[in-house]
Amino acid sequence: MQEVALILSYIVIAYMLFSSLSYLGLFALAYGKVKKENKLDKRESTEDFLRNQSTYPVSILVPAYNEEVGVVSTVRSLLALEYPEKEVIVIDDGSKDSTSLRMIEEFKMKKIPFAVRTHIETAEVEAIYQSSIFPYIRLIKKANGGKADALNAGVNLSSFPYFCAIDGDSILENDGLLKCMKPIIESDGQIIVTGGSVRIANGSTISRSKVEIVGLPKSPIVLMQIVEYFRAFLIGRLALSHLNILLIVSGAFGVFNKERVIQAGGYNKNTVGEDMELVVRLHRLLREEKSKQRIEYIPDPVCWTEAPESLEVLRSQRIRWQRGLLETLWNHRKMMLNPKYGSIGLFSMPYFLFVELLGAVFEFIGYFIIFGGFFFSLVDPQVAGVMFLVTVFYGSLISALAVLLEELTLHKYPKVSHLMRLYFWALTEAFWYRPLMVLWRVRGIIATFQKKAHWGDMKRKGIST
Amino acid sequence: MNLSHFWILIASLFLGQLLLLLILAWRKQQSNKREAAINSQYDALTDSFSSYMMDPSDERFIEELKASPYQLVVLERLLNHYVSVTKAGADSPAVSRLSEEFLSTRYMKMLKRGNWAMRMNTLYFIEDFRMESLVPQLKEKLAKSSRLDQETQQLIRTLASLNETVAIEALAKHPDAPARLYIDVFKRLDELTKLDELNAALNEENDNQTLKHSAISYIGMAGMTLFLPRIEEELQHPEMEMRIQALKAILHLQYMNSPSALAPFFQSAAWPERMFAAQIAGKLQLSRYKETLGELLGDPVWWVRYSSAEALTQFSEGDIVLTHFAESHPDRYARDMANQWKTSLLGSEQ
Repeated sequence: MQEVALILSYIVIAYMLFSSLSYLGLFALAYGKVKKENKLDKRESTEDFLRNQSTYPVSILVPAYNEEVGVVSTVRSLLALEYPEKEVIVIDDGSKDSTSLRMIEEFKMKKIPFAVRTHIETAEVEAIYQSSIFPYIRLIKKANGGKADALNAGVNLSSFPYFCAIDGDSILENDGLLKCMKPIIESDGQIIVTGGSVRIANGSTISRSKVEIVGLPKSPIVLMQIVEYFRAFLIGRLALSHLNILLIVSGAFGVFNKERVIQAGGYNKNTVGEDMELVVRLHRLLREEKSKQRIEYIPDPVCWTEAPESLEVLRSQRIRWQRGLLETLWNHRKMMLNPKYGSIGLFSMPYFLFVELLGAVFEFIGYFIIFGGFFFSLVDPQVAGVMFLVTVFYGSLISALAVLLEELTLHKYPKVSHLMRLYFWALTEAFWYRPLMVLWRVRGIIATFQKKAHWGDMKRKGIST
Repeated sequence: MNLSHFWILIASLFLGQLLLLLILAWRKQQSNKREAAINSQYDALTDSFSSYMMDPSDERFIEELKASPYQLVVLERLLNHYVSVTKAGADSPAVSRLSEEFLSTRYMKMLKRGNWAMRMNTLYFIEDFRMESLVPQLKEKLAKSSRLDQETQQLIRTLASLNETVAIEALAKHPDAPARLYIDVFKRLDELTKLDELNAALNEENDNQTLKHSAISYIGMAGMTLFLPRIEEELQHPEMEMRIQALKAILHLQYMNSPSALAPFFQSAAWPERMFAAQIAGKLQLSRYKETLGELLGDPVWWVRYSSAEALTQFSEGDIVLTHFAESHPDRYARDMANQWKTSLLGSEQ
């Protein structure tokens, strides 16, 4: 028994060291790009597109399920977006609350007949409304079919060649869409998907659907999520995007080439990770066609979203994310280690399998060995000690480094005290937050084999004041 | 490797991070202080700057600016704000004078030595402030660049804003240069130079098809009806892309000397031609094509049906025609489309 535990502990140590170093390696890859663009005057670089007729029009899709608290402020923030030509389509996916009613009242909407092109089959569309104040705001009221189904209905109704999918509880910065479309326009359509950074709005002052003052929340749970987002976006996505092997564009905010999405078959209704699944499917399509088109992550366009404040909601969110990841990897297992799919099959898929998905399993075993070593002499306490230190390195130190890297590159949080607080909480990660995450992520793997897909339930407070 | 090695590794990583944290915190504090000082000087100089822009003989601003320890940054921000609010870059001699006097030396250095972002910002500002004295440096830089990367593209735009036709010549060296860039250049040239360059671009002897497409496209966007006869000639062009650009331009120009030239496009095998023809018929309210538009409501391509229905809404009795088609058109999809458009006149932000 002890021998097995010892072998396992060496495997876990080796794995965690490898993962930590891979994070550092990925950041080293991405650092140059972020640093290069850091001082660029973003206003100057996008203002030309604002008045340019070659800026492609965009349909903004807002899937909403029980979003009566946030949907109006989200749409208001979209109205304030600086963009030459856009339409906003809210898709009420059979909400049980007053999501539709809020929209109809706020924007004086009237029911209209609409000749919808059914590119993708969806649950029944019950009615389509159009605002009489802003004719380019529409509402689709449909039977419940899940987030993917709602987005597909939005794709069917949209008029423009590009669409932006944004969550009903999120607020996009005024020039966010312009900055996301810039690489698409500049590449003459060679970039088919762009995803921007998602930031947590809890603690910031938001008024009139705009982030006025960037601040930090008091809750350590939310603070830790902020740190986690730094790590995910700054370290992971930038580097993968740099290599054109990015498998995730955040479900909270992404811009897509509609024709390509339709060609790929739209969002998959049978997974809870429809955002990642679509991106993987698009990569698959591109590789099978030997196309040179790209999927890109842009560090700057910021979409602000509300993070869960209670452990219960956070738990269900993380279980859902992990399920989504596993389902996507399983659905596209054909690509795994398959040279036909180039670096996606040979690097990106294995990375997501071993680091993002199975990392939780390895860590879970690690925690057992640490406890077993210290309290039940399962392994030499020396080995348990090494594992403890590796866990600290893997969790706290990498997260603290992510905070420092954010400050080194984007520095979105204005005060020195913000930096200090984030750094302090990042250091505590391995002692409370990470074990919880590990537990939930392992639970997520198990849940994949148990439940049907559903919308993520989250009690909203609303982020706009 | 034993436990003590790991302790040393973790401790050194922690101490290294701590040091980095302290450096970053100090840097942040310094930059916040500097930013606060710049903002306060910006506020303090705003009034005298406004007076100077209205009456350049009021030297108070120049004296205050010279006394400011952050004069270059503050002036850059004041000018940038003024230009973006008033859109006066090209027409304001005061902006050019101030920028030439205080910023040209700095920008000259930046173009050579600054990092990529700083060089890009410098190019944006030279364009905004119309700093003609820097043209030789810009041309020299353009001559050295071999790739049409982001920096070269901006360099070309900046030179065009200073009315340098070398921008078009430089683009012509890159066969894959997008039409968007040519249009950016046309937009920036002054009126007379623009007319010459557009004329040259439309010239059949010219071998550069992207240039010609861009010229047609720009003429439409800018509403230059002067070129209408030339654009109408292109409707006969053997190349479909050229005809489509001409149709698009006519749609923007909202005028045609000979609307009968549109007739063949309604039967075109290419759906974009049918779509643009329908859109033009609507925009120009060409009643003679009303019946044709009704037929196109049943076109196999959704965009053609959509554009035909939208075109019918432009006619004074469009709602009656659409109601008629919504009830009696033989094609089911045409009835749906007519039904949609009779109640919903606009579907997007215009």
